[in-house]
Amino acid sequence: MNIDLYNSLLTALAILLVSAVVVPLLSGKRKLAGWMNFILVSAAAVVLLNICATVLFGSGSVGESQLVRIGPVGIYFLIDGFSAFFIGIISFMGVVSAFYSIRYMEHYTDYRLWSYYLCFPLFLLGMIGIVTVDDLSTGFTLAWQTMTVASYFLIRFEYREKGNVRNANKYLILMELAWALVLCGVFFIDGASIGDPLHALAGKLGSAGGTGMLAVYGLTLAGFAFKAGVFPFGQLWLPDAHSIAPSPVSSLLSGVMIKTGVYGIIRTFFWMTPHGGETHLDGALWGLIIASFGAVTLFIGTVQSMKQSDAKRLLAYSSIGQVGYIILGAGAALYLLHGAGETAKLFAAVALVGAVYHVMNHAVFKGLLFLVSGSVLYATGTKDLNRLGGLLKFMPLTALAAGIASLSISGVPPFSGFASKWTIISSSLLAGSEVLFLAMFGIIALFTSAVTLSCYVKFFGMTFTSVGAEWSVKKDVKEVPASMIAPKLLLAILCIVQGVIPFFYFGLIIDMFARSPGSTAAAAIADLGGAGLSAGMMGVAVPGMGGIISAVAVPAVVLVILAAGLLFAGLLRRSGGSEEKVAPTWLCGYQDLNDRNRYTADNMFAAFKRAFRWTGGNVKK
Amino acid sequence: MDILYIAVNILVFLLLAPLFEGVVRRITARVVQSRQGPPLLQPYYDILKLLGKQNLSAGNFAFRIAPLVSLASILGVIVFLPLGHRANVLTKYADIVTVIYLLTMGGVGVLLGALSSRNTFALIGSSREMITMIMVEPVLAMTFILGAVKIKSLGITASIFSVAGGGYGASVIVMMVAYLAALQAFVGRQPFDIAEAEVEILEGPFIEYSGPNFALFKYYLLLKQMFYAMLFVIVFIPAVKTGLYGVDVLIQLAFVLLVYVLIALLGSTHPRLRIDQAQKIYGVLIAASLVAVGLSVYGI
Repeated sequence: MNIDLYNSLLTALAILLVSAVVVPLLSGKRKLAGWMNFILVSAAAVVLLNICATVLFGSGSVGESQLVRIGPVGIYFLIDGFSAFFIGIISFMGVVSAFYSIRYMEHYTDYRLWSYYLCFPLFLLGMIGIVTVDDLSTGFTLAWQTMTVASYFLIRFEYREKGNVRNANKYLILMELAWALVLCGVFFIDGASIGDPLHALAGKLGSAGGTGMLAVYGLTLAGFAFKAGVFPFGQLWLPDAHSIAPSPVSSLLSGVMIKTGVYGIIRTFFWMTPHGGETHLDGALWGLIIASFGAVTLFIGTVQSMKQSDAKRLLAYSSIGQVGYIILGAGAALYLLHGAGETAKLFAAVALVGAVYHVMNHAVFKGLLFLVSGSVLYATGTKDLNRLGGLLKFMPLTALAAGIASLSISGVPPFSGFASKWTIISSSLLAGSEVLFLAMFGIIALFTSAVTLSCYVKFFGMTFTSVGAEWSVKKDVKEVPASMIAPKLLLAILCIVQGVIPFFYFGLIIDMFARSPGSTAAAAIADLGGAGLSAGMMGVAVPGMGGIISAVAVPAVVLVILAAGLLFAGLLRRSGGSEEKVAPTWLCGYQDLNDRNRYTADNMFAAFKRAFRWTGGNVKK
Repeated sequence: MDILYIAVNILVFLLLAPLFEGVVRRITARVVQSRQGPPLLQPYYDILKLLGKQNLSAGNFAFRIAPLVSLASILGVIVFLPLGHRANVLTKYADIVTVIYLLTMGGVGVLLGALSSRNTFALIGSSREMITMIMVEPVLAMTFILGAVKIKSLGITASIFSVAGGGYGASVIVMMVAYLAALQAFVGRQPFDIAEAEVEILEGPFIEYSGPNFALFKYYLLLKQMFYAMLFVIVFIPAVKTGLYGVDVLIQLAFVLLVYVLIALLGSTHPRLRIDQAQKIYGVLIAASLVAVGLSVYGI
């Protein structure tokens, strides 16, 4: 069965390669090329999703890494539950983005599309590679370079715009630096040879030990943190790169690509650890370091996001912030596994599940938000929040999708962001009774949720409500075509589904860890399944921790209560039998609303922005 | 029986919130400003009258749904409250994080209404409202968390009852002072009524609202005010109880009345601050609550 799995993987990668070769030849016919790209990417995705389903739901055994010979080089591949999970996210978002691209890429009339359709499948191929290769040398290098170079050309797609090439070059250089850091880390392992799979590396690490350990883990962490966009590395490249790429690519960059960094971090610190030997991974130390990076990243990234007036830069900074939540969850889990008591291990499992769930949720809603900003750009020609406003009337469906995504990312129940943030925050708060710093990080995360909300009040408010577009946008604003609405609505529905039935996904993730043998968290997660966090309707009652009710039933109950509340409020409003009349805006009677006296995005939260100038990322007027 | 507790929660709040507002207006008028003031029942009349008036609208969907969202979410919060020291059947389905996010959602309704009303003053108000939400939410959150770290549970009843359940240590006192200091900001009254600021930006977020829509927002504000007053009583005065449900609810309402007297006196004697001044004060309050949580982790 395993052979099948790896053969399918190679088939899927081959389809992507074919797409990269064939579609650029057709790029003269824009629509045809778009459809061909979509069809081939979908074909590959079907194969990949099949792999994902086989691993996650099938009965076969997984976890053995497999040497696959491609010509002269042999590369170790490993498809276990954890990589299957990422394969699923990458291929799903890839298809959505490819479908969106068909119509979206047509409007770049000044640019030829061959480079786009050459690099798009290669970019996906590289990302799939990263999450399936099982070494940190040969295969890793191939995958990383494919991903990086392909995304580089996608990012510099609009190369005639001022500054874009410069930003793209910066991206390329920093990603190569990240690659070098990871590779250097591996060279610090005594006796490591090129092409060693991870478990062999872990074994050699165990016998080597000593100060080498610090260098190995420090360098790999730094490398993957670069990719994931962790503070201070993320600020160097992420906002510049993500904001200039075409929107379907931005949605992949933010939704999926930075998660490969998260994948690397979790893979290194939970799997590539020496077992049994004299030396151990100092999990408490690294957990503290990673969790601290997470807390700082989520706070700084989100506050910086709030300051932005460019829609896509706002989203990009917010990606940094959201990755912070994931890193915090992973770091807290690592710390609790190694540095605290037995009960803390359960919290470790909860935090890790929450972090992985947030990976998935963030892929969906951040992907959606970038598609929304792409649609706005398509319809109005600008992504400057100061010039936008009042699009609700013209683009109702896009606005609806944007609203749902904004509520999700802000963590309002019962949308998806709530379920995963809830899990991360509550596990760190509860663990805080033993570990003070985690309680503080939990409080920072909670505080930052409100700041996240302010980002999206600005993003949604200044784009869709408020006023402005009628004066500052010269063209006729229309809703985008159906083929650009459908992917957004699909993702919006997922935002709700993932929020309302989190127990299904928690069960899935717990199962996923069960099918990824060899991790240090395996035992704790298995306990968690036993304790009932898995797919029961009534939720966790972790023994001795009475009163924790899991997110299992919460969203559904909250939804029902809110529905009842809305019904009551609606009836109350109609009880007086009053009539509604649309009235013009009232500005004290002597002035009509115009472009001169409206409130622009720059002015929002002025006092707060002044107080947090020190966090950087400020926007010059 | 458990269902009955939910009904009591909702009825007590819906029926009494306007009355307490009437008390505030009476105290402000008679005690502080030496005038007659409106009748005690005036807030009821206001709401009834608004419900019958013409409903002026900015003509978009968001504007219409905003007041519904606010009112529904504050009602959702109230449902979970363990009034009279009794948890009801729904209380266990939410935890403190849910409650905090639901309260935030009430604010989201106000912001949505303000933003979609297209009015410049409303937008200024919404910007200020958002800053206030960011800065005072941690104080509320840490009030809960103080109890949560003591008992290692995020359940509503567990964390609420354990804040002062074990007596008044240093951490509880610090937290209580921070909560009281933030109370005026929670309920949007002077000196922290910066978002509405009637005489400056004409009710800010609510400027475009009238008739039934405004009635819903007004009701939302009244309920929110009573929620924060009641929360103070439940969290910090848990010891005074008889064990009889009805009597306990009445005792708590008596304490709530005292909190309202405090709100009225503070509100009518303090001029409004600017948002940047207020922000500094909130910063101090957040720091104080952090200290309180830190102390409680060490069992002080």
